[in-house]
Amino acid sequence: MRAADLLSARGAPRRRSMPMGRQRTLWGWFFLMPWLIGFVAFQALPIVATIFLSFTDYSATKEFAPGNFNMVGLNNYGRLFSDPQLLQSFGVTLKFAIIAVPIGLVIPLSFALLVNSRHLMGANLFRTLYFLPTVIPIVAGVMVFQGVLNAQSGWINLMLGAIGIEGPRWLSDPNWAVPALNLLGLWGVGNAMLILLASLQGVPTELYDASTIDGANGAQRFFYITLPMISPVIFYNVTLGIIGAFQYFVAAMLIGGRNGDPQGATLFYNLHFYRQAFVFNDMGYASVLALLLFAIVMILTSLMFYFGQRSVYYAGGDI
Amino acid sequence: MSLSKSRVVWLAILTLVLLPLLAACGGTTPAATAVPAATNTTAPVAAAPTDTTAPVAAAPTDTVASAAAPTDTAAPVAAVSPTVQPTVLAGGEGCAASATKLTWYVGLGAGADADVIPKEKAWVDNFNKTQTDACLTLQVVHNPESYDTLKAQLAAGSAPDIVGPVGKAGRASFQGAWADVGALAAGANYDLSKYDPALLEFTKDEGVLVGIPFALFPSFIYYNKDLFDEAKLPYPPHKVGEQYNGKEWNIDTMAELAQKLTVDAAGNDATDPAFDGKNITQFGYYEQFTDARGIATLFGGGLPYEASDPKTAKIPDNWRAAWKWYYDSVWTKHFSPNDDYQQSEALAKGNPFSSGNVAMAHTHSWYTCCFDIQKLNWDIAVMPTVNGKITAKLHGDTFAILKQSKNADAAFKVLSKMVVDPELYQIYGGMPATESERPAFFAAFDKRVAPNKVDWSVAQEMLKYPDLPNHESWLPNLIKANDLFGKFRKLLDQTPNLDVDKEINNLQSQLDAIFKEAPAQ
Repeated sequence: MRAADLLSARGAPRRRSMPMGRQRTLWGWFFLMPWLIGFVAFQALPIVATIFLSFTDYSATKEFAPGNFNMVGLNNYGRLFSDPQLLQSFGVTLKFAIIAVPIGLVIPLSFALLVNSRHLMGANLFRTLYFLPTVIPIVAGVMVFQGVLNAQSGWINLMLGAIGIEGPRWLSDPNWAVPALNLLGLWGVGNAMLILLASLQGVPTELYDASTIDGANGAQRFFYITLPMISPVIFYNVTLGIIGAFQYFVAAMLIGGRNGDPQGATLFYNLHFYRQAFVFNDMGYASVLALLLFAIVMILTSLMFYFGQRSVYYAGGDI
Repeated sequence: MSLSKSRVVWLAILTLVLLPLLAACGGTTPAATAVPAATNTTAPVAAAPTDTTAPVAAAPTDTVASAAAPTDTAAPVAAVSPTVQPTVLAGGEGCAASATKLTWYVGLGAGADADVIPKEKAWVDNFNKTQTDACLTLQVVHNPESYDTLKAQLAAGSAPDIVGPVGKAGRASFQGAWADVGALAAGANYDLSKYDPALLEFTKDEGVLVGIPFALFPSFIYYNKDLFDEAKLPYPPHKVGEQYNGKEWNIDTMAELAQKLTVDAAGNDATDPAFDGKNITQFGYYEQFTDARGIATLFGGGLPYEASDPKTAKIPDNWRAAWKWYYDSVWTKHFSPNDDYQQSEALAKGNPFSSGNVAMAHTHSWYTCCFDIQKLNWDIAVMPTVNGKITAKLHGDTFAILKQSKNADAAFKVLSKMVVDPELYQIYGGMPATESERPAFFAAFDKRVAPNKVDWSVAQEMLKYPDLPNHESWLPNLIKANDLFGKFRKLLDQTPNLDVDKEINNLQSQLDAIFKEAPAQ
């Protein structure tokens, strides 16, 4: 007789097994743990700390420990109404976003249409080439553009000079600094292009065939079939574009320095926040700025979803 | 259109669109020169006005702008390094079991340069082997990140013990975080009386001695001998009082010389009516790596507030004159490069003198860190007079101990050895604070600059003419004030057709507002 049979014969108590559903839930939590731990440690706690800091006068030069800061109530929030650079930084950010969001959609869409064309030879090569700049680190890309946009030795102005046009002082003229950054932003359109390309390739060809038979021309096919069919992806890109514009920082910091040169023309909201936190060490007010940015992006995204969704066509049905 | 024809058209369109991208990829590349930040310190005698009025426990906003900021005062580290360099950790091994563990943090000033790090590592290893009291771990953080890294360590309560070399401006970013070295010296029976009282005063922040005088960095004029030879012009004077080409060596003579050394693409110099200011290939003069306060010292020292009331801003007349002179040199006489030229490839993207296309540059002795001191054919000259007076702005560095250090006494013992270590003087290129050690220092420096033969007597001579008050002296709301001075220099460098007087008045109003915003003393 086998040992198991013996045990069974002696009436050994069976271990009560956990219900399947509960077991699966626990395993689910187990596999979620790495993300959860990361979320709590690196996102939830910093968010809570930011909210807490916004009520203190904590300076970044001291240990974050009791006794090293005072509770100041809503003082930091009150400063929002007397900070002249707050509006300036909003203005710069909005000016940038107004140009960056549309061109961040139109240019990659144009590229996606180009590389999706059946008339194109070596389509894969061009897709790779357009995407290539995206894999270059932003810092390296900006360094390259600093040279490209230099008013004296940059090739854009050298080219303009060759045809008798005096190029602008891209990085030292306050009127040209934001357009220069917009130009620089085109460096990374490969990512959006790829997403749009994927969505273009997902448009059923029978729709085009049917419309061609009905006599639709290229423009009609684009506006009445392609655009509605890829509208969810366009909506996605626009939403990310708006969020990205409000979080714009690295390129601005590298181009305009921490002062937002020239003359504050590149003082983006995030740069203003950075200056308060890490230049002036004023963590309390910087936390308020961070929370304000969160609120603004949240509201904008909600508005986008509320109004934007109406113009989006979901082929799969209503959401 | 046939299919093959349309393919050709598409290909042409794509090629046109791609060209700019490809050109951008293959075009300009960031300069390879890794330039360490300027050290930030002040004149020995300059601290006097700072100590009586300085805030004791200043609010967070009352610290100095980070020296990492390449746009303001320091070398353009961020501008030329395309990637973030990793933190270097070394030492801490092979120490005696009883040795107190200490961390030495480098990065706020000099010392984070790739060439210097191996020397620092070797020094730490040797130090750990030759004594049993302390076990030193070296932490080197690339200058642009070093401020944030140290702030993070302070916030986490895991700050290092010794920080340096660091100057006045670098320390001011951590105002209130430094230990009182005077008290530590008293506790260790360390004799500070061997130091010049002015130097000790100079090493005080807000009245507290935060280090022992270590190295001095006077300023003078670096000149490129090749460009002078090419223009068949005599070199500028090496002795105070010496004439230049039969003329007094004053600011006008220097401006005239600088114009002759400024050349456009067609080979015309800036005194030629045919000179084209939009196509300059060589400049006569540059105020290297300094902010508006540094430029102002050309015409003498000063403080931007009323002597009787530090909370009322008042730009001294000599500063106004200096800024107007400088602005004129950029936009009217064209012998100083504007910002676009400064950042161009022709001027090494922000490190003009190193490019070999600038004939004269005014900066400190630490600048030997930042160009090829053996290849470039260079020497140094004395500063010109302005209204009969010479002013050579001065920096000085030290090592400091953080209040958070759990082993401040042990750290002081190490610090007291560091500040007199001849090897460290050589590593950081700083003139020893103690005069007796200077001959040996210069003898060693001669070997480093060979085959060039540099007249170091100029550097020693310029020590006698420090800017008083010093250009890094304390100001109310210092960090914001320095921020404004950094911006003001950029404004001068970037903007043609400025009404400079109006802009100075505007700066004065802004300073006034932030001075008044400073907490009560």
